[in-house]
Formats: sequence, C-alpha cells, structure tokens
Amino acid sequence: MDFNLTDEQEMLREGARRFLREHYGFEQRRAISAHLPGFSVECWNSYAELGWLALGQPEDAGGWTCSFVETAILMEEFGRALALEPYVSTAVLCARILERCGNVEARRSMLTAVVEGKVRLALAHQEPGGRYDARPISVVATRSGDDFVLQGWKSGVLDAPAADHLIVSARLEGEENPALFLIDAAAPGLRMNAYPLIDGTRAADVGFEAVQVSASCKLAEGSVVDELLQEALDRATLARVAMALGAMESVVQLTAEYLQSRVQFGQPIGRFQALQHRLAEMFVEVQETRSILYCGLAHVDAEAAQRSAMVSAAKYVTANAARIVGSQAIQLHGSIAMTAEYAAGHYYKHLFAFEKIHGDADWHLDRFARHAAV
Amino acid sequence: MHFEPNSGDGAFRAEVREFIRQHLPPDMARRSYICSQPPDIEDFRRWQGILHDRGWGAPHWPLEYGGTDWTAMQRHIFMEEIYRADAIDYGWQGTHMIGPVLIAFGSQAQKKRFLPPMLRGEEIWCQGFSEPNAGSDLASLRTRAELVGDEWVIHGQKIWTSDASEADWGFFLVRTDPEAKPQRGISMLLVPMNAAGIRIRPIEALNGGRDLNEVFLDGVRVPCENLVGEPGKGWTYAKYLLEKERTASAYLYRNKRELEKAKQIARAEHTAGMRLIDTPEFARKIARVEADLLALEWSVLRILAGEKNLHDADAVVSALKIRGSEMQQRVAELQLDALGPRALRVFDQQDRSAEVIEGTPLWPSYVPGRLGQFLYARAATLYGGTREVQKNIIARRAFGL
Repeated sequence: MDFNLTDEQEMLREGARRFLREHYGFEQRRAISAHLPGFSVECWNSYAELGWLALGQPEDAGGWTCSFVETAILMEEFGRALALEPYVSTAVLCARILERCGNVEARRSMLTAVVEGKVRLALAHQEPGGRYDARPISVVATRSGDDFVLQGWKSGVLDAPAADHLIVSARLEGEENPALFLIDAAAPGLRMNAYPLIDGTRAADVGFEAVQVSASCKLAEGSVVDELLQEALDRATLARVAMALGAMESVVQLTAEYLQSRVQFGQPIGRFQALQHRLAEMFVEVQETRSILYCGLAHVDAEAAQRSAMVSAAKYVTANAARIVGSQAIQLHGSIAMTAEYAAGHYYKHLFAFEKIHGDADWHLDRFARHAAV
Repeated sequence: MHFEPNSGDGAFRAEVREFIRQHLPPDMARRSYICSQPPDIEDFRRWQGILHDRGWGAPHWPLEYGGTDWTAMQRHIFMEEIYRADAIDYGWQGTHMIGPVLIAFGSQAQKKRFLPPMLRGEEIWCQGFSEPNAGSDLASLRTRAELVGDEWVIHGQKIWTSDASEADWGFFLVRTDPEAKPQRGISMLLVPMNAAGIRIRPIEALNGGRDLNEVFLDGVRVPCENLVGEPGKGWTYAKYLLEKERTASAYLYRNKRELEKAKQIARAEHTAGMRLIDTPEFARKIARVEADLLALEWSVLRILAGEKNLHDADAVVSALKIRGSEMQQRVAELQLDALGPRALRVFDQQDRSAEVIEGTPLWPSYVPGRLGQFLYARAATLYGGTREVQKNIIARRAFGL
C-alpha cells in the first residue's frame, strides 16, 4: 500500500488548487451562482482544456485512462472551492454508464463529446416518491416498431437544466426489465421544470409526453441495467465523498483562522478550551473521512456486493462527519456564519446537500448493515 | 497511490495463523476470550515464553536485541492474528514501554541485565508515572529521589500503577532536581518491586479487578546505576516511550475482535422469535460501529504505510487515540446491548468454574466477562492522556491555538 501521491497526481492536485483559487474564489463563486445556468461555462471549457474531463475516460474517446484516485483528487479540490459545474453528473456518473453500456456508437460519440467539453449529461433515474430505492415504475417505454415512446415523470434530476442529453431509466411496457435511453434534452415532448437546490446546483423534474426515442438511443436493457446504474452511482457517490472531504477540510481551516482572529473578552476566542475542543472534534471527523474515502477507493473495482458495501460505509461515515463539521462551523463562527456574504454557511449548505444525494445516511447505513450482519 | 497489499503479506499471515493454531493452548485462549484485559499473569508468562522460543518475543525491537526485522505492515498483521485467535498481547509496560527506552538510552549493563528476561516473560514490569495530584499533568509530580553516596533514596507515592503487585520491576519517574524547571528536574529510575520501603495497596476497580494499585515509596534505596540515561532527562524518555508505536492508541485489534464477539452474541440471542442480528434496529447499531471502525482501520493503515500526512503527526495520533478509545466503549456497549438482561450478572474475575468456561443453556459461554470488559472500557478515555488532553493537543498542534 502507498497513500502518497505520485508526481503526476501531485501535479493534478496542485494544478487544480491553483486554477480554482484563481477562478473560483468565494466572491467569484457567488457571482457565478447568481446567474443561470448556475455554474461557469468558461470554467467548464477550461476543464476540458486542462484535460480534467478526460480523467478516467477510455482512450478511444480521447480519454486519459487512470485510476479513480485521480478523479477523487480533483473532486477534493472541487469541494474545497464549492465548484458548481455538473462534473459528477457528466464525467463520472453518465460517462461511466456510457462506457459500460452495450451501445457502441452512443458510447464512442458521447464520450468523445464529454472529453471535449461539448456536452453535459444528467441521469434521470429518481422518481416521485421513490426516494433512493428508485426503480423505474412511472416512466414507461412503449415499443413502436423499432423505436420507443416514453411517458411519465422523473423528479429531482440533478444538473438536468443545463444538460444536453439525459440518460433515462424506464420500464419497458409489458416486460419485467427496465432499459436505459440516451435522450436529447431538446426532444419534442420533453418538459423540464427547473429549480435551484440548497447547495446552489440546479435540478429539474422532467416530464416525458410521448417522447419519441429511436432504437439507436437504447443504451442497455434487462438485468444489466441495475448493475450498470449501481456501479456508476457508487462511483458518483465516492466522487461526492471526496468533494465533501475537501469542503470539510476547507471550512475547518476557515474556522480555525476565525478562532485565532476573533477577539472577545479581551482575547482571541481560540484561547477558550470549550471552543478548542469543538475544533478538535471536527479535526477527528475530517481525519476519519479521509480514511474511509481511501477505503472506498480501494474497493471501487471490487465485486459488486463488496464495492457497494464499502461505498455505503464511506457515504455513511462522511455524512455523519459532514453534519458535525458543517453545523459546528456555524456555531463556532457565531452569527457571521448566518450571512450569505460569508463562506461558512455555504459550506454547511453544500455538506447538507451531500448527505441527501445518491442515498442518505440511513439508506447507506442499511445497505452497509446487510453486509455487516453476515 | 495504490491500495494493493504487498505480495508476501498473505503468506506471512498464513504462517502466523498456523503458528498460533498449533501453539496457543485452548484453555488459555478461552480465558483470554472471557477477559481479554488484563490477562492472567501466569498465562502471560507462558505465552511470552512460547513467542520468544519462536523468535517473536518482541517483534518491534531491533534484530540484535531479539526483535524481528518485520515491516510495520507485518507487525500489524501479526497483532491482528494475535487478537483474532484470542491469544495474549505483549506486556505493555515491558516490551512496549521500558524495553525500547533501554534500547535507546540505557547502559550496556542495563540492556544485558533487563532485556533477556523481559523477552522470555520471566520478569514483569510496571510503570510508576501517575501520582495522586499528577495525572495528565506529569510535570507536577512530587515523588523525589536524592543521591546519597552511590544510592538513590526515593520518597513519595504513585497511583493507578497497573500490575504493581505482580511486577518484578518498575520504572519510576522521580524528581531529582527540585530547583530545575518542572519538566527538567525529572529522572527515570529502575526499582525492584520487592525493595525495602515499598508498600503496595491494591485499588478495587469498578469491574472488581485488582490490577490497579497505590505504591508508597518510603526511603527506597536503589544503586545509582539504576538511573536510565542522564539525570533530568526522565521527561524526554517518558515522551519517547509514549510515542513508540503511534498506531497502538487506536486499539484496532482489540476493537475488531470485540466487535466480532458482539456479532456472535447478536447471532445467538433472539428477540420476538428472530435472531437479534436480523432485526433492523440492532443491525443498524452494529453497522454504525462497524463503519466507524472501518474508518479507524484505514486511519491506522495510512500511518503504517508511511503516508505523508498533511497535518501534524502528534495531532493525528491524538485523533487516533480519541477515536480508538471511544470505539472501545462503543463496542463494549454493543456487547451488553446484545446480551440484554443477561448483561447485568456479575461474574467474579477470578472465576474459572466449569459454568464460566463451558457455559450452560441459561448462561452461554459468551456471557461471562463482557460486563467486566464494559466497565474496564470506561478507563480507555482516561489512561494514556484523557480524551480532553488529546483534544488540547490537537488544538495546539494542528491549529496553533
């Protein structure tokens, strides 16, 4: 085992940290967040130029084949900056489904476009009332000759408003199996009700009113769909764990600096042991989060049950830590943290959203419990 | 960064496991299962001898003193296997604490005299640091020693001294220069526990154990060559000794084994017609502890693999201590929660009756000892620097507060 970064990984981290410091300072982020599409298209283009959208993508699509560690390193830096671009949806979640699906043509053309920064993608899987155990029930695909017609609603589709294409899970009418389709976001009959989320990212409810889909847009069908989705969602979850880690490290540092500078009762409040101990508890949480992230990364290519269990452990431990670190950061700052002009509250919102995306702490605890009880 | 274990580690684990399987007496393993800390002193001596015969008497020592040249990862694997099999851990005060200090700072005569019997398990050691008014604040200790002719004469009192009544030797921190700054006037002396002027009073602990003691030193005389290193350096040596084996404070091996016991109990116990482990609520309880323990395990692996941590090393170790000690308490609580009403019965620590060893339908063999361990675990956040002191260290070392 070796937990030290290679020279290349170190360069990636340093490059990302420098770029985001220059282009994604807190005020810049506020300005980016205030206007549609809610992220920076310029930054997105830079990510393509910097090769970040190629990380882990297959070589024949112009990608940079490397381990998932590189993605995690980049995500940690994104978390530090609270970057808003739909990186996980596009380059981790949907790209992974495309890479492993059986549709060779869609895989090649879409992944190439992802690497070049020409498309953004979103996974439309969650359904109204389905919480996290979403199985496609309400969206139905009916065969129409060789093609399909989609009908129904998906809800809470992350990063959908700015996506060029959606990957949609649907139940095949008259059959038990689900299927995955790649659908142009501008397809006739596709309706998108967009809204912002607590962390500043955008999502949408997506309606399909007799949306025509050609057979060539079917990515997968049958029992492989579950495994495709699960594997890609596990990776996306782990990417977000890395983001949460970066966000936590950043807000703990911010809090420490505040405790050193804020004077009350004639001394910096960091002299008070009650506050020191809170900060120490936050430090312990962040240490454990990094450790469980590495545990998850070590199992990202393991067989499905083991992989999912370890990803769930990572999500659960990190979600717990995120609650503690996020709320304590506000408490230690006092009222200043309640203002939108100060960063601490934005970290809190990011960390809160993290817990609810791709399965919350309870959902992941139960998934891990099925493994632990064996 | 890569996470694959080294290629030889699997074979090494198999070798260790096979050795333990062949050499660990089952009755000893059973006693260890019931009450894993502290071990029966005779079991400890026997097992230390068995390990020493194999050349494994102190794996973390340098080869020339009877240690091994194992990697940190091999030592980790070895300890996992020791706990997994309910074998006995090394004596903390001896091979882990004073042994390395003597190797680093002791005289040739001290090394020759003390290290071999320590390795063979023939001489048991105790540690005389704590005093009634100097717990975590060691610098305020008051036991003093004065050089009279070529002997040190010691007056004072120590407390919470584990195994003092069974130990052959103790290493004591004493104030030898009352004029110097509090941390500079302290020296380390080696004291035979049967010396004239030593009186030992056992302190009955919450779990009924009598391994804690008060030690009174009233004009105890030891020859001047029993001073470790230089006078006034005791504080430095104490810090060195406390810093050995940084990952030990995670109690990882114990925590993993005790969690396994908790799961065994939850598989055997039933509620409302189903196995306790199959109820969603208890399954979640287990999962919470197991997920956090997994994180702790990877924290240990990061240190063992020599990760260049972004943070101060002392702060990182204090984080391990906080998490590891809390985990001991959580795992012990989980065992008692799994036992339900059976958890309350007090078993005498010394009880080796058939009922305790074999178990009965009414009192299965997984019951005895768990309550005692649970009570003992309350001390985990106290000894070795309280949880609060660890937090002070983090605040100072990681954030400069």
